[in-house]
Amino acid sequence: MRGMIGAALIKIGEGVSSAGQFGRFVWRSAVTSAESIARSETYPLIWAQMLLIGVRSVPVIMITGAFVGMTLAVQAYDQLAGMGLEEHLGVLINVSVVKELGPVLAAVMLAGRIGGALTAELGTMNVTEQIDAIESMGTDPVKYLVAPRVLACLLLTPALIIYADLLGIIGGWFVSVVQLHINARAYWSFSAYGVELWDVGCGVIKGFFFGGAIAVISCYKGFHCKEGARGVGQACTEAFVMSFIVILIIDFALVVVFKAIYSSFWPLRSMVG
Amino acid sequence: MEKQNKQNENVSTENNSTKPDDGIIVLKNVTKQFGNNVVLDNISLAIEKGKTTVVIGPSGCGKTVLLKHMIVLQRPTSGEVYFKGQRIDDLDDKDLNGIRAHFGYLFQAGALFDSLSVAENIMFPVRQHCQITRFSAVEELVRNKLKMVGLDGLQSFYPANLSGGQRKRVALARAIALDPEVILYDEPTTGLDPIRADTINELILKLERELHVTSVAVTHDMKSAYKIADRIIMLHHGKIIADGDADYIRNHSDLVVQQFIEGEVSKKELEQLQKTNAANPARPVTRKIDD
Repeated sequence: MRGMIGAALIKIGEGVSSAGQFGRFVWRSAVTSAESIARSETYPLIWAQMLLIGVRSVPVIMITGAFVGMTLAVQAYDQLAGMGLEEHLGVLINVSVVKELGPVLAAVMLAGRIGGALTAELGTMNVTEQIDAIESMGTDPVKYLVAPRVLACLLLTPALIIYADLLGIIGGWFVSVVQLHINARAYWSFSAYGVELWDVGCGVIKGFFFGGAIAVISCYKGFHCKEGARGVGQACTEAFVMSFIVILIIDFALVVVFKAIYSSFWPLRSMVG
Repeated sequence: MEKQNKQNENVSTENNSTKPDDGIIVLKNVTKQFGNNVVLDNISLAIEKGKTTVVIGPSGCGKTVLLKHMIVLQRPTSGEVYFKGQRIDDLDDKDLNGIRAHFGYLFQAGALFDSLSVAENIMFPVRQHCQITRFSAVEELVRNKLKMVGLDGLQSFYPANLSGGQRKRVALARAIALDPEVILYDEPTTGLDPIRADTINELILKLERELHVTSVAVTHDMKSAYKIADRIIMLHHGKIIADGDADYIRNHSDLVVQQFIEGEVSKKELEQLQKTNAANPARPVTRKIDD
């Protein structure tokens, strides 16, 4: 019994210690990234990461967005048609895509694509002493490796979410109007009535947080991965699982915050309008 | 070069009164623990300027950890590290980066950046620490460093296209890119054939002769140690058990030192090996043999 309590206490201690280590890493990454914005010598590194993280993710993000929109159209059509409201399908699809499903599913896809790549790259650099080599040459590895990746993710995840939204809207339109023959004019006019700029903005702002979380978690796991191929593989898995959970937590927290802000400002907006 | 049968009186395990200005690098009562595992046990040591010090010892005895403490890639659990009289183990990372520019570090596997070409690898520390006004000057510097290690012409190659020996030599060129005062070598000849290993030894001697650098090498290659060392230190179970020049080490009376330098297994380990029969049928998994 004592042994079990002792082991449990050691586990708790280790958990607290790794949480502290992660907290310090997040703080250091945030400060270094903020400082790097002002340094022009960091721009080529950010640019290179933007190409890898952003540009090369566009096809997979567009495919994700398109299928989200198309699937929503197929799923929702029967329910709305049963009530004679099929022309409102656009509102349902487009609000769901731009507010929730587009950003979250795109972020999950990015956590797999970018997060895995970042963790594997930095993890391999860690086990082959390349990170130590950077440090031994008097360069801060967080400044050289983490800050450009964090900044590239922060800047490009919202942009990629816009792509996912766009393709989600087109996918939804394709199934609804072309396949299910809903009146196009009604589809778009109901959509325009139901989807506000606020909805699109919420999704894009979420992307900023999701991108930051994916980058920091992946870099942390890469920097602290255990030796060997198994260590790198385990770090990649942990990075994806942790990113996925954090994306869901951030999403929930932001939905609560956005709702509170919207409720506070909605009466003011109608007064002005 | 003085090659007498001489014990280093400057510093030894018994003498823990090492002063910060006794050498270019000074470790004072340094202990390093990983959990309950004591890797370095109250080590005091002064590295003499302009000399080559070789740290020998069996695998896992803490040689690399000791080397990493000299440049504060790892911080001691207790004790102090000095560089040119200045305490460096308590500096923050920003201040340490300035100090580290005085060092070159050759990692065991080279640790070349595989996403960068040979030229970009060598340029890396230059780009980080120097204001580049003329790119042609940097190219010239890269060419000179590669010439020094006998690899001029490989500028556009990537580490994946190089052999093990070439990688080590490129890593050495990168380590000397900023003309450091101290070069730390982690197993410089490990994994190389005898001819390539000797090339690296000659390069280390050449750098000492031509650049007058202070060198600290960690190795278990005794041929290399005898060739390059002005002073040899032997680590065992985290402690320094022998410290002197090559002849002193060769004639050391300690059995552990003799076994190590002669490459002989200890009697106890030999007995254990002889007790286990390689053809022992009591294997955990029996192979099914079909008739």
